[in-house]
Amino acid sequence: MSLNALRSPIKLLRRVAGGLRGLFRKERDDRELDEELRSYLDAAANVKMRAGVPHDEAVRAARMEMGSLESVKEEVRAVAWESALQTVWQDVRFALRMLAKSPGFAVVTILTLALAIGANTAIFSAVYAVLLKPLPFRDSDRLAFIEKKNPPRGWDRNTISPAEILAWRDQSRAFEDMAAYTQRHCVLTGAAEAEEDPCEVISSNLFPILGVAPIRGRTFSADEDKPEGPRVAILSYALWQRRFAADENVIGRSVDIDGASYTIVGIMPPSFSHAYAPPYHALSESFAQLWLSGIALSPASAWNDYFGIGRLKSGLSLQQAEAQMDTVSARIEAMYRDLKGWRAQLMSLRTISSGDTRPALLVLMGAVAFVLLIACANIANLLLARGASRANEFAVRNALGASQSRIVRQLLTESFVISMAGGVLGVLLASWGTRALVALAPPFLLKTAPGLASGAADSRVFGFSFATVVMTTFLFGLAPALQSSRPHVTETLKETGRSSLQSPRNRRFRSALVVSEIALAMVLLIGAGLMVRTLAQLSRVNLGFNPANVLTLRAPLSGGQYKEPQARAQFWDRALSAVESLPGVEAASVSLRLPVNGWAGQFFNTADDPNPPAGQVPDANYVIVGPGYFRVMQIPLRRGRSFNEHDTQSGDRVVIVNEELARSYWPGQDPLGKQLRVGGQGPWLSIVGVAGNVLSQGPDAGFHPEIYVPYQQFPWLLGGPKHLVVRTSAGVKPETLAHAVVQEIHRLDKDVPVADIATMELIAREPMAQQRMVMALLVSFAGLALVLSALGIYSVLSYSIAQRTREIGLRVALGAQQRDVLRLVVGQGIALAIVGAVAGIAGALGLTRYLQSLLYGVRPTDPLTFAGVAILLALVSLAACYIPARRATRVDPLAALRHE
Amino acid sequence: MAENPTTLVQGTLDMLILKTLALEPMHGYGIALRIEQISRGVFQVNAGSLFPAFRRLERDGLLESEWRATENNRRAKYYRLTEAGRKKLKSETREWGRQAAAIARILETSS
Repeated sequence: MSLNALRSPIKLLRRVAGGLRGLFRKERDDRELDEELRSYLDAAANVKMRAGVPHDEAVRAARMEMGSLESVKEEVRAVAWESALQTVWQDVRFALRMLAKSPGFAVVTILTLALAIGANTAIFSAVYAVLLKPLPFRDSDRLAFIEKKNPPRGWDRNTISPAEILAWRDQSRAFEDMAAYTQRHCVLTGAAEAEEDPCEVISSNLFPILGVAPIRGRTFSADEDKPEGPRVAILSYALWQRRFAADENVIGRSVDIDGASYTIVGIMPPSFSHAYAPPYHALSESFAQLWLSGIALSPASAWNDYFGIGRLKSGLSLQQAEAQMDTVSARIEAMYRDLKGWRAQLMSLRTISSGDTRPALLVLMGAVAFVLLIACANIANLLLARGASRANEFAVRNALGASQSRIVRQLLTESFVISMAGGVLGVLLASWGTRALVALAPPFLLKTAPGLASGAADSRVFGFSFATVVMTTFLFGLAPALQSSRPHVTETLKETGRSSLQSPRNRRFRSALVVSEIALAMVLLIGAGLMVRTLAQLSRVNLGFNPANVLTLRAPLSGGQYKEPQARAQFWDRALSAVESLPGVEAASVSLRLPVNGWAGQFFNTADDPNPPAGQVPDANYVIVGPGYFRVMQIPLRRGRSFNEHDTQSGDRVVIVNEELARSYWPGQDPLGKQLRVGGQGPWLSIVGVAGNVLSQGPDAGFHPEIYVPYQQFPWLLGGPKHLVVRTSAGVKPETLAHAVVQEIHRLDKDVPVADIATMELIAREPMAQQRMVMALLVSFAGLALVLSALGIYSVLSYSIAQRTREIGLRVALGAQQRDVLRLVVGQGIALAIVGAVAGIAGALGLTRYLQSLLYGVRPTDPLTFAGVAILLALVSLAACYIPARRATRVDPLAALRHE
Repeated sequence: MAENPTTLVQGTLDMLILKTLALEPMHGYGIALRIEQISRGVFQVNAGSLFPAFRRLERDGLLESEWRATENNRRAKYYRLTEAGRKKLKSETREWGRQAAAIARILETSS
């Protein structure tokens, strides 16, 4: 046994060596084999002659005994593995010759496949980058992103407070460790021009929990978490490269951040993107660039400004951990009024990092798979038609001794050559397609998948494409190969053009292929139709303000001379009058946040009900604005007055509320003159106006209570306004004024950083970016599917008419009118279309619910879309029937009857 | 020749070729003839299985071949057992004996 085991590698080596030698000595080996076989025949004949058989007869008998010389040789060659290679190569060459002989067929099939495989590759690369690629953290499946929800009030995904983080960390046994961070914008000043970057104040254990180490320097120490601890900072790789010119000596240097001095202690690796963080600003490009120490979590603070990240103990699910945290929450909500009703809400980091793109990507992946199936059905159909015209060739080869499996192999090789050509072209198309995808993709998608934007090809994506090529080869090649190779030698050779390929069974198979193509195309068309309707609905939504002709930018004032709220207010007063005097500017104002993309709930009390029970304190979006805000945004004022120049610190404290707030708390009453206060403290504020509702959380989020306060009265609130909003005159594109506006700001203070310059229209469109991408892609896939299935109908009808020329001729000869012939052909085509459409509608009814989360203002079973798509399909099918039908009406009965 | 020549059990042809060549080097037809004669026509070896077997055994290093003149002065390829072939024949024969005896025993007891 052991001896054998030892010997077999030697044997293998010998075979390989023999094979390699065989490859180079093929000619000589063949000659030798010829000679050997001849001598064998001689010897056999000799023996027979010695037994008294005459020479000629002996030779014949010997030959008979041996059988076909060629098949003996074939079998000898088959012993050698290298001959398999040679056969494959022969098959490939033959396949290439066959394709070259029918260039039309080659171009159509290869292009079809290239489009389908290219689309699949492009979408897969996005799916891989966003949903499959491992996150850059240690054991990332045990990391949980921690937020909180308030089920009684229907709120979810809220930021958490230090009191909760500390209680959950210390009292629940679900986590190995738990870190916290809060997001900010930091202004860097110093040697270079001032700049503002997204930054985070983090607890020292965040990076160790994620399992990511800095490439230079160190992470924070526990001491540095304390409020009075040393102020230290860690840079992102990009910031280090850009602002510090990749200086190796940057560690230990100090840098001014928001007017305070921090010591740089570390630099994070370039691969460390912030896949765990929700984006800061819908349109801004980057995640945090800077991490600061001094988080100072206090168990007494119920201020909701933090996110948590925890490492679960192994074996615990998110649900189990939530359950453990809930018992802790139940304990602490008795101690903090503001925490009433709040419970932990955990999500995997994968869910956080892929955001809400998951359903969109899966829908698109399904759609491209459909396109691929349609392409395969189409090519199978073409191959079947081709197989019919090659029936003779196969019969001859079969008669000459080729086995059925040999012919199947040959045909599959031809299919593989087509697939491979399509695949190579497809991968090239995909790199272009990925670029198109990036252009269409919402910024959020690109942020979570940086590799996608750079177009970096991944070996896994290539693996996917190759697997697709192999799969499609069998998908479209196997059935035609099996059908074509079925030996009907005698019939085929006797009677030209009558083979299994024209059997009713084969015709039915081809019809079934076309029907499935139409059904798949129908599903895609309905999906595309629903998305088109969704976008139409979304763009018709009245946001409550007019985003056209509005320029926005962020200019944060911090540190140094802007420490005093009064200084900030003065700066804005001067900046606004400077900007308003620019030609083309109609009005300018400032705001803490912008509608659609910023929302921060704040508790408030009304004077009518100053002490609501815990857990029922009213909540509203708090908008700190300049006096001209309503004019710039064109938010209508329903009652009362707007803010004016008298609403300063010396005047009465006033607010404007939106209709939703007025309706919720003073239904049927006049809200003017009512009083409220924010955060349960400070002076009472009088309502002087009611503004129209604004969809400030995006078009599909509905209206929420909002409170507008004038910044001149409260310049200290939340750091004051940060966004400048400018309405340009009709006909003046807002982006053209960006430069002049920035110049005015820098004329006042060249150290004020300006960021996120965008038009309000762009910001308002952002929440629809995902729908727009899905729509654009689904429409193009559906269009491709429609063209392919029309081609399918066309090819089946053309073929069937070519086959039925005699029959049609006979009908015409017997008095059939052109009309009857037309009805015959078109009837056949329409029958295919109807069966396909019915199957497609049934499929769509089952599948469109996966689109649900992307739809707006339209149900997944929207009858209008279904009907519209059915009509479109009917028209296209009729068009596809047209050419074959016209050809049928031109059949000359005499010629047709003489035919064959 | 026998009424019903039997097809060989898979793999036994190799052994029979080795056995035939154990006495002296022979050419292809000679081997076929010898197997037929010794088996009294029970086994008929056709060229389609004989030549692939030669190629296989040669590749495995069990046979060697050379061109030589035949008894009636024609050129033919003669095959000869190598040392490895001789060993292989020995072990195969032993194995065959063991198996045949075992099968015989089974057939006897079950009847």
